[in-house]
Amino acid sequence: MKKILVVDDAATVRMYHKKILEDAGFEVEEALNGLEAFEKALINDYDLYIVDINMPKLDGYSFVKKLRESENVQQSPVIMVTTEAEEKDIDKAFEEGANFYIIKPVKPEEFLNYCKLLTGASYE
Amino acid sequence: MNNRCLLKNEPEIKITDDDFEKFREYFYRKTGIIFDQSKRYFVDRRLIERIKATGHNSFKNYFIFLRFESSGKELQNLINALTINETYFFREEYQFQCMVNSMLPEILPRKRRGDIIKIWSIPCSTGEEPYSIAIYLLEYWKEIDKWDVEIISSDIDTNALDNAKKGIYSERSVQNLPRSIIQKYFKYLGNGYYQICEELRNSLEFTRVNITDTKETKRYRGLDIVFCRNLLIYFDDLSRKIAVENLFDSMLPGGFIYLGHSESMSRISPIFKIRKFPEAIVYQKPLEEDK
Amino acid sequence: MPIKKKERKVVEIKEERRKIQRNFEGLITQLSSESSTERRWAARDLAEYKEASSYLLEQLIKEKDIAVREIIISSLIAIGDEIAISGLINCLKSDDAHLRNSAVEALKQVPETIAPYIEKLLQDKDPDIRIFTINILESLRHPKVVKWLIEVIEKDENINVCATALDLLSEVGTEEATSAIKKIKERFQNEPYIQFAADIALRRIGEQ
Repeated sequence: MKKILVVDDAATVRMYHKKILEDAGFEVEEALNGLEAFEKALINDYDLYIVDINMPKLDGYSFVKKLRESENVQQSPVIMVTTEAEEKDIDKAFEEGANFYIIKPVKPEEFLNYCKLLTGASYE
Repeated sequence: MNNRCLLKNEPEIKITDDDFEKFREYFYRKTGIIFDQSKRYFVDRRLIERIKATGHNSFKNYFIFLRFESSGKELQNLINALTINETYFFREEYQFQCMVNSMLPEILPRKRRGDIIKIWSIPCSTGEEPYSIAIYLLEYWKEIDKWDVEIISSDIDTNALDNAKKGIYSERSVQNLPRSIIQKYFKYLGNGYYQICEELRNSLEFTRVNITDTKETKRYRGLDIVFCRNLLIYFDDLSRKIAVENLFDSMLPGGFIYLGHSESMSRISPIFKIRKFPEAIVYQKPLEEDK
Repeated sequence: MPIKKKERKVVEIKEERRKIQRNFEGLITQLSSESSTERRWAARDLAEYKEASSYLLEQLIKEKDIAVREIIISSLIAIGDEIAISGLINCLKSDDAHLRNSAVEALKQVPETIAPYIEKLLQDKDPDIRIFTINILESLRHPKVVKWLIEVIEKDENINVCATALDLLSEVGTEEATSAIKKIKERFQNEPYIQFAADIALRRIGEQ
């Protein structure tokens, strides 16, 4: 079973992403900021990271940067979750090593398809 | 009819599934502790106790009170009620193992002959932690004879400090220790009480400190290792931030700090580097070169 | 016994005695030192000087070292005057994600001081500022919090601003928010997230 880490400071958003993914058979864990996400990534292996941008303590861009610079974490794909207003800044995320982005609030099917694609779970 | 009869007919306070979820998210945000469904009974019971103890008659009213109480005292009481707070010798032993097997070997190459290794136990409470550190080093650290170690034990509670200096402990407190260690470092006083040997009691420094007080903590400098376990979880957000910044200042670059096993810097501050060792997650003050 | 006790005397710590005087002017000079440790110490000690706000803010914007930034923010919170607060509010607009988010966190720590600014911030043209303002509301103990959130979900056109308000309402919402939450479900009929978030808020309020 593929494991996904959902990183967002809003509880409702985490619940929403979690529900979509768990219903589709993924195992999902949560973190509410980039620091917690990095700590979890040090302890567990995740197949995919879903990362919000604005979070306390460590924002999304900084988390991706830290992730990519670390030798001690699984270098899985990162989907950045961004508002429409932030879309113009998305290059920052790619510079730090994100692979993809999606605009929030996400539509379940589209979101799920990207997750399946990036975890190689499309045919399961 | 007196008031007692009325109380007997009070409607029972119930925690609904939605109440539990709301509470769980709030508690997770504040402390990092997640309660899953298996803990439901435990959490409900404690919550109801606190609801009654604070004179509320429903979860709803209690939650508003909890959220907005400016002193944060109720959150502290609640955390106390929901976490296990016992102190005893060799509690969370894997952290001492980490100290000896992983941390000290990293610290030593940065030291010169004659340097002292400085360790701070804060809060030391009634002393189980700093004495545990001392005993662990004496028993399990191969390099102990080559280095001088200074262990500072601090707490805000002077009663706890007095007890720590006396060093008298119950059967329960020492039950994790191998017999051989008890025999070597403790004297049996009778009636189930043991006292730490005088030599060890005289080797530790005991001081009173409030770690949110920047002036007080300025006196502490050059720490290689700090144990700050199960204290910050009780502080409000701002006090935690300040405390951690004070601890940062007290440490040498490259120094390590431990929090309690259910605690994390992730809700407190990004200034420390996270290090994962085989035995434990530890936080490190960046070495100058890291910047 | 390799465990040694050192008698501690209350002495000025030598490393922090330095050539520059630790008075206000000296500290300000040190705030731009090449050494991050010295900048950090200066930022820490400047917490005692009300006049330091504008200097701290100036350094905050330039500062690259995270530990120094965090201490500057602690000092600004401690000073908490108009200059500090307006400066932190300005940081909400920064391009630097860490700075913006640190400013949100800082403003959460000064609820009484930020309260008078809330209404204006909730009308800001930039939806991100409105979102940050709602984030700040999380720590506010103000009788108008729920009303403000209701106003947002009734009037704000930006879906993510509304979503952020719904998220907070699921924690602080009361019965008076119910009808506005039902209305926003209708407004964003085709948005599954809004339906989801609104349903949670309604359930938590006890209205489902």
